[in-house]
Amino acid sequence: MTKTGLTKTGMIDFRGVNKWFGSLNVLKDITLSVEPREVVVVCGPSGSGKSTLIRCVNGLETIKDGDLVVDGQRLGDPATNMTQLRTEIGFVFQAFNLYPHKTALENVTLAPIHVRKIPRAEAEKAGRELLAKVGLADKVNAYPAQLSGGQQQRVAIARCLGMRPKIMLFDEPTSALDPEMISEVLDVMVAVAEEGMTMMVVTHEMGFARKVAQRVVFMDAGAIVESGTPDEFFSHPKTDRSRAFLSKILRH
Amino acid sequence: MIWQQLQSLAGSYPLALRGLGMTVVLSLISLVLGTLLGFGLGILRTGGNRLISGLIGAWVDLIRGTPFLVQIFLIFFILPEFGIELDAFTAGIIALTNLAACFICEIVVAGIRSVPTGQVEAALASGLSRWQRMRQVVLPQAMRIVLPPLVGQYVLLIKDSSVVSAIGLTDLTRVGWLVVQRVPNGLLVFFLVGVGYFIVCYPLIMLARRLERRMGAAHGEVQL
Ligand SMILES: Nc1ncnc2c1ncn2[C@@H]1O[C@H](COP(=O)(O)OP(=O)(O)OP(=O)(O)O)[C@@H](O)[C@H]1O
Ligand SMILES: [Mg+2]
Repeated sequence: MTKTGLTKTGMIDFRGVNKWFGSLNVLKDITLSVEPREVVVVCGPSGSGKSTLIRCVNGLETIKDGDLVVDGQRLGDPATNMTQLRTEIGFVFQAFNLYPHKTALENVTLAPIHVRKIPRAEAEKAGRELLAKVGLADKVNAYPAQLSGGQQQRVAIARCLGMRPKIMLFDEPTSALDPEMISEVLDVMVAVAEEGMTMMVVTHEMGFARKVAQRVVFMDAGAIVESGTPDEFFSHPKTDRSRAFLSKILRH
Repeated sequence: MIWQQLQSLAGSYPLALRGLGMTVVLSLISLVLGTLLGFGLGILRTGGNRLISGLIGAWVDLIRGTPFLVQIFLIFFILPEFGIELDAFTAGIIALTNLAACFICEIVVAGIRSVPTGQVEAALASGLSRWQRMRQVVLPQAMRIVLPPLVGQYVLLIKDSSVVSAIGLTDLTRVGWLVVQRVPNGLLVFFLVGVGYFIVCYPLIMLARRLERRMGAAHGEVQL
């Protein structure tokens, strides 16, 4: 048990987190708590630190000071087994990052077989079910290069779900997609959210935020500037910076 | 006169076969060992431990930057000074394996570095261990970059094996030297020696060329 186990914590708990890239302070005194089953949408202008924020949660980036507690375990604590913790956290990348040398099904079953040590036959059965769930029952044996962007991203989501994670992180999952493919990916994300997954989603998709997010967090220049329900944030932004940002994304 | 020479050459046929056999055995053993060692070194070199990576880098540079003949002499004539007695065959295998490993290490490093970081991050994020990331995600993709120059390197190393004749191993090249003392027609003898090497190397040259073409086209798994 880490010392933070004594106080009540959320599923993801940032407390006064700071991060630098060289002399650039990319995360400034971030304090944010995400409750179990909560969906938090993170938005903000380019370079504001959104990716860095969620990449800290599964340790793709390390923090300089402050505390970051995920699923009761403090990151950077020698007692925390990062590899073990990562199995509980799914991460969906903007560029999908599917394994190009593996089929859709192999992408989904790789970690369950090798990390969770699930027997292959069982993992493949679960993998097929997951691919069917994201609407890709007929693409089980396709390689990523044979799939459209929207299909690849759905495989990537299935790949995360195959580990039965407690948390899912999404870094602009639809911004590399052609407009007509965005909704097929968002629909899958809505379904995942409705099943009670704890999620942090970097996205500018307001429709998605209004539908499933409990909270929208607005970042600018490495700091959380504003945070509120989707309705509060989109209809009554409180700061000049969020108003300027919203007027920009609403114009497209 | 030429007729006599050809007859006498035909008489050297068993010796030539022995030489060819020695060249093939030497090359094969050191290529297999050198490949294993080379991959190991390449993986360690990209593994993130500064000290290990630096040491391997320095060793590879040293071996690549010195003549193979000098390396073989050091192993065969200098090591015994320190109480390590080696027969010529073992010394030849060690020298060739080391040379192969160093060149292959560099090829493997280039292959590993060619895999996009997003791939490693995806593997990391799903909880794969360091070795699982390497084995399941990085190496299969690196192989596309590694295979064509790797086979090309095999050709170079088979030819480099001729240097072991300098420490008295009866390989194809040394057979050439022995025969030419009996049949004083250097042009003919060493032409035939050259043909011997070419017969061993040519299939590999063809394989390298095929791989090069295949790697350009393949998007999925590497299939030979
Ligand atoms: N590895 C890195 N090294 C140095 N600086 C970095 C690195 N990664 C990000 N940065 C910088 O950190 C800042 C925040 O980057 P981040 O990617 O988190 O922003 P973002 O909000 O996700 O932007 P975008 O909307 O463009 O994806 C930027 O100024 C970026 O240039
Ligand atoms: Mg980003």
